[in-house]
Amino acid sequence: MWGTVATLIPALFWGFFCFGLSAVIPVIAAIGGALVGEVIVSGLMRRFTLWDGSAFLTGLFVGMAMPPGISPFIPATASLFAVSVIKGAFGGLGSNWMNPALAGIAFALLNWPVEMSAWSLPHHLIKVTGITNLDATVTDTLNRNVFSHLGADLPGGYFDLLFGNKSGALGEISAVLLLAASVILIAAKVIRWEIPTYIFGSFAILTWAFGGLSLGNGFFSGDILFAVLSGPFLLVSLFMAPDPVTSPSSKVGMMIFGVGIGILTFLSRTFGSTVGGSAFAVIMMNCAVPTLAKLDTRASQRRASNAVAMTKGAETHGIR
Amino acid sequence: MKSSRTFRHGGIRVEAGLDWEQRGTARNAFLPNGAVILLKQHAGKQARCVVRRGEYVREGMVIGRADGAFSAQIHSSIPGIVRDIKMISLPEGGQSEAVLVALEGSFDRLGRKGERYLWKSMGRTEIISTLRDRGVVDTAAPGMPIHDLLSDRKEIGLLIVNAIECEPYLRAEECLLRDKGAEVMEGIAILQKVLAPKKIVVTTSQATTIVLPLSKDDGVDVKLVSFEARYPQDMPRQLLEALDGSRKRPMTDALIIKPSTAFAVYEAIVIAKPMVERYVSVSGGAIKRPAVLKTRIGTTIGDLIEECGGFLGPPARLVIGGTLRGHSVYDLDVPITKTTSAVIALSSEEVGSQLRSPCIRCGRCNEVCPERLDPSLLFRLIERGMWSRAAELGLGACTVCGACGYICPSRMPLVAAFSTELQSTQGQALTHVHGENPH
Repeated sequence: MWGTVATLIPALFWGFFCFGLSAVIPVIAAIGGALVGEVIVSGLMRRFTLWDGSAFLTGLFVGMAMPPGISPFIPATASLFAVSVIKGAFGGLGSNWMNPALAGIAFALLNWPVEMSAWSLPHHLIKVTGITNLDATVTDTLNRNVFSHLGADLPGGYFDLLFGNKSGALGEISAVLLLAASVILIAAKVIRWEIPTYIFGSFAILTWAFGGLSLGNGFFSGDILFAVLSGPFLLVSLFMAPDPVTSPSSKVGMMIFGVGIGILTFLSRTFGSTVGGSAFAVIMMNCAVPTLAKLDTRASQRRASNAVAMTKGAETHGIR
Repeated sequence: MKSSRTFRHGGIRVEAGLDWEQRGTARNAFLPNGAVILLKQHAGKQARCVVRRGEYVREGMVIGRADGAFSAQIHSSIPGIVRDIKMISLPEGGQSEAVLVALEGSFDRLGRKGERYLWKSMGRTEIISTLRDRGVVDTAAPGMPIHDLLSDRKEIGLLIVNAIECEPYLRAEECLLRDKGAEVMEGIAILQKVLAPKKIVVTTSQATTIVLPLSKDDGVDVKLVSFEARYPQDMPRQLLEALDGSRKRPMTDALIIKPSTAFAVYEAIVIAKPMVERYVSVSGGAIKRPAVLKTRIGTTIGDLIEECGGFLGPPARLVIGGTLRGHSVYDLDVPITKTTSAVIALSSEEVGSQLRSPCIRCGRCNEVCPERLDPSLLFRLIERGMWSRAAELGLGACTVCGACGYICPSRMPLVAAFSTELQSTQGQALTHVHGENPH
């Protein structure tokens, strides 16, 4: 848990750098709310679990999903709800069926939809209109040296999306820092690579095939890069969807879970009206996890009865 | 020879302790002043005691007679006076009588050059009954008497001499093969005569380097196969699965023994020596000078640890047999038996935190289970008393290899629960899946 917190700190600090105090306050409020929730639950359950880091991490996730400058009351309530109701009431760490951080974010999205979508631009970009100089330079260099040889031309703007020179939630804007954190966590086997891979794969294919339709561009014209790099998609699919407690552990289960999230995210992004489509997609697939686990159990029962059948054959060969 | 052969499902890479470099030869341990010789060092019933308190016993004299199936003869490992005969508890559970012999008198064998018996003229039954008289058992737990294994099998498909030591800290078999390769080969030749197997394979792990004196002079054609250093490669089912590529071969078509078993066969037949000695590796982070010791059976682990320079600091845990499949012991008077391959004293850093936290359903136990079980689910079922459901889900196939417990980040007592459960369902044919656990 604490390791995950450590890897998220660079992305968080990029948010602090971009938005200053208006980013620091919501994060502190969210973590504070989570810790208060954990202490209350600990008291009720007579089991002190504050130091396992799970409540702190939930608070951090909730904080990172907040738009900068939001009233600290909202993140504090959201993470208090997440830790005490979604996690604590179901029996604490390991027993909850819904990802607490996502539940907290969804709680805030549903209760304060206006405040939750009041994004603002980073401080150092307020005077810039359109694409930043950094993006223009990098895109230009790449186009001249790499893509021109491949017969392609990269439009401007993607490097702003990648590095986090954009408006968005305070911890979600730097795609590159989130990706780096996830690489560390996957290498350390804290999160599994399968679930993010299936989410990315299904989401990218759907976006490419049908994403252009709503803009009137026809099939196979969707903008995968924009879809992946914008909004809370990276934070949710890299860190919250693979939460082991609320995701399946078998190979088939992970595939169904990941692809389901990809499809639902695509549907709500393209045809829905709410923000935070990926958060709701994961919560919906969380509901399917017990059923997926039941499928695994059935498979292992089949294997067990096959093994018994084999053993019976062996006994006739004279095993004592 | 490099190969990447291994079993199909699960398994773990155990790294801790594998860096222990003890590539030298084994030392002879000092003779113990007193030996605690257990009358149950084998799978079956405890041997019947045939000596009385105050009696003088010679080295290699029978002090316990085999009692029924899977029971074996017990010999005195040192000459001396029987001081006491008393019940002691065994590390693996249960109790057994033990004969306490105080060293006295002279050795009949030690330091003398014995003659070699010409076994090639011996028949199958004669060899088997000689092995029974000398009390030879397979040195892997639970210690199946070799005569029971041999009289069951004839003209089998495969004889496997399993030199794989994929648990950390185990070095006894590797060391034995280096010191006594030719003798082990002769033991294999004797077994070949009895079993007439179609194929003989010596299996090793890539983590160890073993040079075998592979000679075809005696008409013994031994193949050396090396496997990936993955735990539990040395389990019978995993071995056969990796060798055959399937699980079709019935267990009765193969005999799997340790090199030290082959060595005991050699000693029993060729130099007429009963099973009174074995190689024991003494190691772990809390041991000052880890070593492999050639030890008299009945020596206490305290004597061996003292001989290795004692403890570096207070040991956090004492284990015999191996850190994954062995047993914890709580005093230094536990004696070495025919199946004790290692004495391990772990430091507190090696043991780590034992604090249990809730299961977070990470699924790593499912990944590592070589029998493709769902350990976390089985554990939940056992905890709630739903034993028949656990049996339906294949608990009986559990070999208690301990991979799930090793990998569990929440330190759940998975293995303890399974082994208790499997023991309490004995007799329901649940543990007899492949005849590995024939108590």
